[in-house]
Amino acid sequence: MTAKRVLVVDDASLMRAYYRQALERAGYVVDEALNGLEALEKILVQPFDLAIVDVNMPQMDGITFIKTLRGKDLPTSAVAVLVTSTEAKDRDILGARMAGANYYLTKPISQETLIEHVVLLCGAA
Amino acid sequence: MPLIKGKSNQPNDETTGREAGQADIAAAMSGGTVDERWAAVRAAANVPAGLDILRHALTTETVSRVREAIFTALARIGTPASAAVVAAYVGSDDPEMRTGALDALRAMPEATARHLPDLLRDSDPDVRLLACELVRNQPTEAANELLSSLLADEMQANVCAAAVEVLAEIGDHAILPVLQGCAARFPDDPFLAFAIGLASDRIGSQASCRG
Amino acid sequence: MAEPATITEDEFRKLAEFLYRRTGMVFNEAKRYYVERRILDRMAATSSDTFAGYFIILRGEMRREVEHLINAFTVNETYFYREDHQLECLARDLLPDRVRSKRAGEAIRIWSAPCSTGEEPYSIAMWLLENWPLVDTYDIEIVGSDIDTRVLEAAANGTYGKRALMRLPADVIAKYFHQVDEHNWQILDDLRQSVQFSRVNIMETRETRPQGRFDVIFCRNVLIYFDDESRRIAAENLFENLLPGGYICLGHTESMSRISPLFEVCRFSDAIVYRRPKEGRA
Repeated sequence: MTAKRVLVVDDASLMRAYYRQALERAGYVVDEALNGLEALEKILVQPFDLAIVDVNMPQMDGITFIKTLRGKDLPTSAVAVLVTSTEAKDRDILGARMAGANYYLTKPISQETLIEHVVLLCGAA
Repeated sequence: MPLIKGKSNQPNDETTGREAGQADIAAAMSGGTVDERWAAVRAAANVPAGLDILRHALTTETVSRVREAIFTALARIGTPASAAVVAAYVGSDDPEMRTGALDALRAMPEATARHLPDLLRDSDPDVRLLACELVRNQPTEAANELLSSLLADEMQANVCAAAVEVLAEIGDHAILPVLQGCAARFPDDPFLAFAIGLASDRIGSQASCRG
Repeated sequence: MAEPATITEDEFRKLAEFLYRRTGMVFNEAKRYYVERRILDRMAATSSDTFAGYFIILRGEMRREVEHLINAFTVNETYFYREDHQLECLARDLLPDRVRSKRAGEAIRIWSAPCSTGEEPYSIAMWLLENWPLVDTYDIEIVGSDIDTRVLEAAANGTYGKRALMRLPADVIAKYFHQVDEHNWQILDDLRQSVQFSRVNIMETRETRPQGRFDVIFCRNVLIYFDDESRRIAAENLFENLLPGGYICLGHTESMSRISPLFEVCRFSDAIVYRRPKEGRA
């Protein structure tokens, strides 16, 4: 059985490295995208079990990405989405949920917390 | 040879014709279709009152691609005044507006430079955080100074993380002690420890070389 | 001074990300060796002992090094049927979609910009004649544009050497070219006259707007050379020159993700292509 695939979508290279380290240690296969547009391209080409998405990114922000993703055909549109953002106001969390995010975590996030939620949203690797 | 025709005439449609004047632009902005507003906004960069027209348009326009074109036009104007109009949206509630503003500021680094100190001192930590990314495009020495200044007394861990991200690419050896000081201020932040460690390694492993 | 034989994983990532931010070029792990060789070549060319030193030159925009690096990645030599997977996609997916709303005899307009010395627009013409069953059903107009009038003259002249023809099957050469001399072949008159060439700078709306609106645009390996502001303007111009639902194809290392959010991304079996949204959605 092949490992689960997670797409990390964040324009910060250090954040992507941090997530990658945690995810790979937990056995997931990881790919990266620097903004919502690149993420859409990657999802169209290969399936993913989960996308971890930042909100503030160039060209296409995370919320717009989720809305666009949910507008696509199945199975693409059903990819689980975990939003991780520095924004912590209620309106931001609500906005993400309304766009179609499955869950929302506020940064900073420990690697343990991250993996806990990844497992919750798409199962163990 | 079959039906591949060489045409010498150009299609006659609404996209030909002279460049829109100020009156045309104003008219289109107040009641035009999406395409008309799009074309008007694009032309606005070339007329004297363009900045005012664009500033006003940003407050009322709701269609994404027209908003995008407004930001492009402001980037084309590329003055500190147009950068000021854009910078006001870095703190917007709308993530699409924030992204639009940041992309436009990124496209006019010289005009933006003037505003960076203020953005990096904004009372909203989200604005300070986003402003750090704009420092990346600035000349290396100025960039190091700006971020060093910020890291010296920034109390929001996420803002520091944004600064560290940029320094990982452009940081000077001299910034290393500042990074260490920051790490000491946030001993419990898991990501910041990781980020500062990685950034310091990258900066430290560079030989001191000047092109 | 010993030159490093390789660059580290970290250095590769750093450079790939820098290039992506600056130019929009995308390199995946599969391209690692290819990219590494070119970086090492440029390091030697700039007398950089270390990657770090080279990166300073790159970031500091010294000696137009970014441009040199981009040139190292783009094959500047053009030839017929280059990136034929996009031509496959054109005949198999893009045009069938475009003609769904067209009557027989209606126009299909295709733009090659920049067209350089003409290989791309002529390739499109030949490919469609050879591979698209409906090529006779519609009025196909192909326009080739470039900023450089010398290459346009060469394109209109339509004479090429052996290297440019290297990907063409013999029967295609026999059908569309006549041999001028030992080293040169010229495109037959009929085909030459069916491509229109025009001088256009895609940065200038004044010059792009009169070209009208197209069903498909090929804009390959030029946006990577532009800065952020120029890329945005060019993307807007190209958007304007597309019919709603029309398609735009970039070079295979390019992605709209660093260029503009204006276009929708479409995946077909042979290529990733971008589309102006259909009418009814802004």
